Amino acid sequence: MRLYEFEGKEIFKRHGIPVPESYLVKNADDLASVPDDFYPAMAKAQALVGGRGKAGGIVKVSDGAEAARAVERIMSTRLRGYDVASVLLEKMESVVDEVYVAVTIDRFEHKLVMIGSPMGGVDVETASKEHPEAFHKIWLDPEQEVEPYMGRELAHRMGFTGKQMASVGSIAVKLYKAFKASDGKLCEINPIGVKEDGSLTALDAVFNVDTDAFYRHPEFKEMGIESGRHEEGELTPNEAKARDAGFPYVDLDGDIGTFPGGAGFGIASIDLIHIYGGKAANFMDSGGAPSQEKLRAMLGLLLDDPKVKVIFGARFGGISRCDDWATAVVQFIQENHPKKPMVMRMTGNMEAEGRRIIEEAKANEPELFDKITIYPYTTPIEEVVQEAIAVAKAEGGEA
Amino acid sequence: MAILVDHDNKVLVQGITGHQGQYHTQAMLNFGTNVVGGVTPGKGGQEVHGKPVFNTVQEAVDATGANSTCVLVPRKFAFGAVKDAIEAGIQLHVVITEHIPVHDVMKFVRAAIDAGQRVIGPNCPGVASPGKGKIGILPDNIFKQGNVGVVSRSGTLTYEIVNSISEYGLGQSTCVGLGGDPVTGTSFIDTLQMFEADPETKQMVLVGEIGGSAEEEAAAYVKDNVTKPVFAYIAGRSAPPGKTMGHAGAIVSGAKGDAASKIAALEAAGIAVAVWPVDIPRLILGEL
Repeated sequence: MRLYEFEGKEIFKRHGIPVPESYLVKNADDLASVPDDFYPAMAKAQALVGGRGKAGGIVKVSDGAEAARAVERIMSTRLRGYDVASVLLEKMESVVDEVYVAVTIDRFEHKLVMIGSPMGGVDVETASKEHPEAFHKIWLDPEQEVEPYMGRELAHRMGFTGKQMASVGSIAVKLYKAFKASDGKLCEINPIGVKEDGSLTALDAVFNVDTDAFYRHPEFKEMGIESGRHEEGELTPNEAKARDAGFPYVDLDGDIGTFPGGAGFGIASIDLIHIYGGKAANFMDSGGAPSQEKLRAMLGLLLDDPKVKVIFGARFGGISRCDDWATAVVQFIQENHPKKPMVMRMTGNMEAEGRRIIEEAKANEPELFDKITIYPYTTPIEEVVQEAIAVAKAEGGEA
Repeated sequence: MAILVDHDNKVLVQGITGHQGQYHTQAMLNFGTNVVGGVTPGKGGQEVHGKPVFNTVQEAVDATGANSTCVLVPRKFAFGAVKDAIEAGIQLHVVITEHIPVHDVMKFVRAAIDAGQRVIGPNCPGVASPGKGKIGILPDNIFKQGNVGVVSRSGTLTYEIVNSISEYGLGQSTCVGLGGDPVTGTSFIDTLQMFEADPETKQMVLVGEIGGSAEEEAAAYVKDNVTKPVFAYIAGRSAPPGKTMGHAGAIVSGAKGDAASKIAALEAAGIAVAVWPVDIPRLILGEL
């Protein structure tokens, strides 16, 4: 989970990494407490996305009036589809050099790695590909304590000598400690500004933390950092509903609603729909052994969505059994009397039992199940997908 | 032969007294696995399905000679459970538990590697060698003994592919579910290396998905090191960039980690890539 720049810098401060003096504001009125001699300053949009400068989210302001205009403009825009939460007004720092320091996880070595480069303030992804020799790395065992000499070694390789070697090294060590103490996944200062007098300041902060470790970080809650903050820009109404109901859901732009079992299988179903010339309306994942409640919430989302012309379902009963799945589908139909056609396939554990549940319900209320077909294993999935696409077309879909 | 799991595994279930532990212990026994006992701190002396429960892994190892473990404990206890088993000298740790903090995963994987042991997972379905045994939660009824080695990052997709391999009259030597997390104890490359050395494995199937670069690395490895035929399926050809689909790993960021780049890398290494999972057995049989 990505933190806002100001949150990352708050953690930096707690670990003794110097950052520019700043105010966090949300509107022009908040600027009243900023003294006139604070300017010139940088107004920086707080949004969970990279490339804020290029997108117009970071501007220089030379006085309070300019700051007020910038804050109003930035707060009213959206950066690459991402909400702007606030504006960080930072005192302008005059620097003579910019360098790069980061800490992340090396998933091959199962180690932590400190990275340093004299190439700061640039697009690091590109620079590290074009000049790999300029990016220096020191690996640490996850149980190992970081020592000051490791930071100095990194700074030395980055080309620093004397006092600067010690001070850059000290920032690398502090960043490493902040990373470990926060259960970080990526921690990046790009750039660290080197001032005329040789002192250093962290001009930016990228801080990604592990959501799975949130439970052991009460300090995040104190800082107002909530778990489950989305990383992918604004959620659509369906995505928000799904998040509240506890399952992953992604809106796509087609008209075939997909109701799969399992993430990998769900992704594969969407591929197959596309291969046969259809367009999926969504991705979702029930997770292992979903509750009846969850399955019904999943179907409900598709039913309420006007862009969905047909519901395509495929259940491979492993851990999640066919009879449970069939019960959820039947109850959903009995409760909601859906008008939308459903084309499904059900196979695997407890298939016969699942089929019996559906046939019984159909025999009792045939009119309810008019537009609902549930194929067995003997019908290849390719045929079921093509049938769903044909139904979507017949219902006036674009496919 | 087969890999990782054969007739020599003496398996402990950590968390055996829990709901999942009890259920999957029975399923493993049904599959023919030699489950010798379980561990739940504080519940030593009880029995589950006739198997003794111990308080610590060391106590269990001393009493049963266990050499493998299936970790089914809640995530807050997972780190301690795996460390307990590493120090007791267990050789194979199959960690089913999901949502373990990644720093903890790195620590126990590193410790296991340093001790010459192997971790599968976390957040994985486990390992099954039909006719020999399984350690994990893979469904029992889809397997058939044979010569295809299957290695995968995804759960449900693996079941579909394994099932179709069985339906076509082929079978599996071993099926390994690596887990969907960014950091795992065992990689595609580790597993392909074991399959290459295993006389019972004649073909290999690699099941990947979008996100990360594990499939590209596996392709490069296959090109230089694997002589047996390899077949692959990659889920996510139609996934839009920037959206997480299911697993933490399954996200396309920019051009990196998308299905097209993975498929291109695999094909460049001479690996036949199936368009749909059920095409895998037909590719193996030369029908496509």
